[in-house]
Amino acid sequence: MATRSACRALERRFASAAAAAAAAAAARPLVAEVRSQRNAVFSREQARQRALYPRIEKIEVSMQGPGLDGTLLVMNRGMSTPLSCARHLTEYHVNNSVLALVDGEPWPLHQPLTDSCSMTLLTFKDSDPTLANQAYWRSCAALLGQVLQTAFKDDYTVELLSTPEVPVTSGAFCCDVALDPQLDSWTPSEESLRSLTKGAQQLIHKDLPWEPLEVAPSVALEVFSHSRCKQEEVEEKAAQHPKGRVTLYRCGDHVLLSAGPLVARTGLCSQYEVTALHSLGQGPWGLHRRAQGLSLPLQLQAHHTVWRKLRQRAEKLVEVSRLEEAAPPSPPDSTPPPTSQ
Amino acid sequence: MRLTLRALISHGRVARKMGLGPESRINMLRNLLTGLVRHERIETTTARADEVRFYAEKLVDYAKRGDTDEKAMKMASFWLTEKDLVPKLFNVLAPRFETHSKGYTRMARLPNRDNLDRAKMAVLEYKGNPFPPLYPVKKDNELTLINQLLRGYREDRAQQLATKA
Repeated sequence: MATRSACRALERRFASAAAAAAAAAAARPLVAEVRSQRNAVFSREQARQRALYPRIEKIEVSMQGPGLDGTLLVMNRGMSTPLSCARHLTEYHVNNSVLALVDGEPWPLHQPLTDSCSMTLLTFKDSDPTLANQAYWRSCAALLGQVLQTAFKDDYTVELLSTPEVPVTSGAFCCDVALDPQLDSWTPSEESLRSLTKGAQQLIHKDLPWEPLEVAPSVALEVFSHSRCKQEEVEEKAAQHPKGRVTLYRCGDHVLLSAGPLVARTGLCSQYEVTALHSLGQGPWGLHRRAQGLSLPLQLQAHHTVWRKLRQRAEKLVEVSRLEEAAPPSPPDSTPPPTSQ
Repeated sequence: MRLTLRALISHGRVARKMGLGPESRINMLRNLLTGLVRHERIETTTARADEVRFYAEKLVDYAKRGDTDEKAMKMASFWLTEKDLVPKLFNVLAPRFETHSKGYTRMARLPNRDNLDRAKMAVLEYKGNPFPPLYPVKKDNELTLINQLLRGYREDRAQQLATKA
């Protein structure tokens, strides 16, 4: 008797919960749908940009670099990328180039070349790898964003906010995210951070390329039509860019927005760990959280003792002052704020 | 002397024979030493460089006595065949090695000579010479990702120690 009434109560409770969930799910578009829509728009725009060059036109690319000065390569306009130029050289160039410098401008490795130019391939071991380091830090943050987007169950929304530009000396790259209000009281345990790391390692293992695409802001707004926060970010970036265009990147089936060029592919990262998830307080999109991580490229692996020390430092919150965007921010905040400054 | 077998076996004889005889050896070493004082870095066979090394250091010890010293001036004028190097010895090399007590020269091996004799070559130099170093110091690039991270780590630790103290 008691059990029957309890059963009925439970049934009613489950039925109501299921109805509520169904209603909520119907109201919010499914995560898979959103992803496929973004992918479809991206592919369509990519195909349209490729179709702008129906006939093969040749351009001359002169390579600069150690041992390569003055090498002239004849490539196709709108189709050849700096990666294809590297493939004409050696396997070392293919595996180790991170970014290309086309006429002094940082150029992602998978973006097609449009004019005759002079090109330098950048690696992590140059005499001045600052651009490569910044691009790598940005790509790791983008990867973290992708992992966070796909890690949670479909019931919970994940809003990726704009990734702050953090210098390498601060010790960790950050990805700002606003999670579902249901998760406001959730703090990640060691296990959950480790599972996020595992997700990132899986992506790294797949060695997916980051495909860049320079689009007009209208197309970018269409891509992010389901996310108001992303649309605002698109407008911000379009205002900052000299030509008013916005660069989108696609990794696997995740489309993202980035401030600057990203590295060629995920396989370039080797030691990758998600170190912490700090709460920064309420923002316009919900509880503002900062996910931090640490990573090193395949060519610059650290000994485990060094890695452990760097990882311990990466758990601390990295402060980013919003006022200065290009200039380096204040040093990372430890629990007693530094008095002598 | 007794014509024993001992005269023919040279076990334990450390003194080298060079050239046509002892006088020829001294003349050869004198030429090498003059070249060394003039150019401060010379390339010869390993045996000759090793022999000259002793005399080069002894000459600097004499030069440290100063050019007013009778013996020092006699030594310098004997060993340096080109007399314009005598002031260089007393005014340039002696002050340079004021703080050093010994070890004014450095010797490094070179690849064997290209001639038919394939002689073992060496380079001998006075320390503090103006040429690029024989063993170049390879500095780690401060700007690589891992070095930048370590730099940030070191600064962070220094800051923490400063606030703790």
